[in-house]
Amino acid sequence: MSDRILLMGNPNVGKSIFFTELTGIHAMSSNYTGTTVNFMEGRITIGGKEYTLIDVPGTYSMTPTSEAEAVAQKFMQEGAAAVICVLDASNLERNLKLAMELTRYNIPMIFTLNMMDVAARHGVRIDIRQLEEQLKAPVVKSVAVKGKGLKELINRLEILLKSATCGRKCEGCPWAAAKEICGRVSTQKSTSPGFLDKLGDAMLNPFPGLPIAILVLALLVAVVVFGGRGLRVPLIMLTDNLIIPAIRNAFEFVFALFASEPISYSFLYYDNGFQTGTRLFYGNMWQTVGNYAAVGGIADILINILIGEYGIFVISFQWIIALILPYVFAFYVGITFLEDSGYLPRISVLFDNIMRKLGVQGGSLIHVFLALGCAVPAILGSRTATTKKERLMIVTIVCFTIPCISQIGALIALMSVFSWWMTPAMVLFTMLMFATVALIASKLIKGSVDPLILEVPNLLLPNPKTYLRKLAIRMKHFLKDAEFPMLIAVFIAAVLAGTGIISAIAQNAAVQSIVSGWLGMPEEAVVALILGIVRREMSVAPLLILNLTYLQAFVAGVVSLLYLPCLSVFGIVAKEFKIKTAVLIFVGTIVAAIFIGGMVNQIARLFM
Amino acid sequence: MINLYQAKKGQNLRVVSVPDIGLLQNLGLREGTYVSVKNRYALGGPVLLRVEKAFSVAVGKDIATQISVKETV
Repeated sequence: MSDRILLMGNPNVGKSIFFTELTGIHAMSSNYTGTTVNFMEGRITIGGKEYTLIDVPGTYSMTPTSEAEAVAQKFMQEGAAAVICVLDASNLERNLKLAMELTRYNIPMIFTLNMMDVAARHGVRIDIRQLEEQLKAPVVKSVAVKGKGLKELINRLEILLKSATCGRKCEGCPWAAAKEICGRVSTQKSTSPGFLDKLGDAMLNPFPGLPIAILVLALLVAVVVFGGRGLRVPLIMLTDNLIIPAIRNAFEFVFALFASEPISYSFLYYDNGFQTGTRLFYGNMWQTVGNYAAVGGIADILINILIGEYGIFVISFQWIIALILPYVFAFYVGITFLEDSGYLPRISVLFDNIMRKLGVQGGSLIHVFLALGCAVPAILGSRTATTKKERLMIVTIVCFTIPCISQIGALIALMSVFSWWMTPAMVLFTMLMFATVALIASKLIKGSVDPLILEVPNLLLPNPKTYLRKLAIRMKHFLKDAEFPMLIAVFIAAVLAGTGIISAIAQNAAVQSIVSGWLGMPEEAVVALILGIVRREMSVAPLLILNLTYLQAFVAGVVSLLYLPCLSVFGIVAKEFKIKTAVLIFVGTIVAAIFIGGMVNQIARLFM
Repeated sequence: MINLYQAKKGQNLRVVSVPDIGLLQNLGLREGTYVSVKNRYALGGPVLLRVEKAFSVAVGKDIATQISVKETV
């Protein structure tokens, strides 16, 4: 692996910022073979030679305690041209201890002392020349968040790569060596803490930490609700005026190649458009097709199904870009900021007591927050859970009670038509369900949950470049992962409706008694229940075209919230656990959704 | 000698023994480490430590009770 350069270091030392600053925009996220651990890799040119720079998952030690740490160890074992070891200057001893372990792999190393500003604030002074002497390797000081020290790092890395010399090798106890070096190169005097330190500490104190946490979470909700709503306006314009016309033009161009006569535009877009769409969705497509066949040719029919007002391509792009994307974007703007600022572990600490009473621990909350984006990475990420029970608890809670952001977007769109209190009521209901499911699951699942052990990083302002890149990667993943399944879901909808399957199901007596009787929904709502299996927002989106009452909208929200997560989640649960677990979740969520949704409906009716 | 969960906010302590948990060792919570209690949390919450004046670690109640510590000045 002579063209590799590894970025190594403890978690939260700012490795990712170095990575972003050192590589171009062509970095990509990769998966370490045979694991769920992701790392970033990118190209970097030093001294005219190209290398692959790898942002290795942060690790405390070369005796791994998690899968991510095991991957870090494997990277060292595979070898590299050089290692850039990032040291947190404000926490030198523990960082040097890892460095000592790394020296045993005989790879040329360069050290960068990062967070020099934080160290200075804490009154720590480090003699860099002395440190170089001790490590017998180049040391560069840096404040990566502000882009300081990067040029010198590159220059000295180039010299290191040419000479390919290893520095001091630690044979004895790494802790003892680290302590000895630390004692020789650093001094500490007491200083008064700065603003960010004070704020970071205040956020950890039960008071004002708890009120701040509630405020931060309320702010996140507000960013999603209002930010998303605001963004919808330009995105609806973009979709209707640019994207959909472009798709239509492309299709018409293709069709024109085959059609002998020009397509009649008025017929396509204006004639009976709404009815066509509704029929495509809820009615009998053959009848529609028959009507059109009498007027136009087969090309006209096809064009209508694909790009008519409610055509498959039109609907799926409208829903993804104009309905879901704004909320997804607003959510990631907020959550990525919280993540990069080091705030999330503070929530884990503050709420550990409540989580412990519910049968999990505070650390699990980080997976729950991730699941608000998408359940799939959250379930993969839950591999870091130290016991089987904790992992099963996280997966159960996520599958039953945590809506993904695509679904949240659709829910907000549905709720906001009615009244301002619908959204907060939904949030409270979700929290109630969260606690209930956690309590029940902790009784049913055997085993134990390990208590919290969590390092709480310093609070910091995210580096804009790293933040924006992370945001861009997340949005790219969303668009890549969402449009195709949405297209499939809408296509299935059209086929189900067209072949009369949906009307057959909807008119089945048992289904009718559940949907119309127990849940009190219009019979067309069956479409949402069927499509919700494919993608979560589809358990809500088809309802937007129907005229629901207050109660129906709320019941629809409850059902959708508890209802089965999408097929991808089902797949990942089956892969990560046993098929039995996946089937249990599949059946359990459907039963719970219909049972509790119906209860809400029946109870509310007593008072109305 | 007391266990860590009994320590009060603001107390300075020296770790006497820790249970055999890899992550505690790797984080640097070892025999002889100096810590101070930054915060305690009601209702069975964790203990938040400042370790060697360098970094903060939260330790859940059920582990904190297994860590014995000695008060220092």
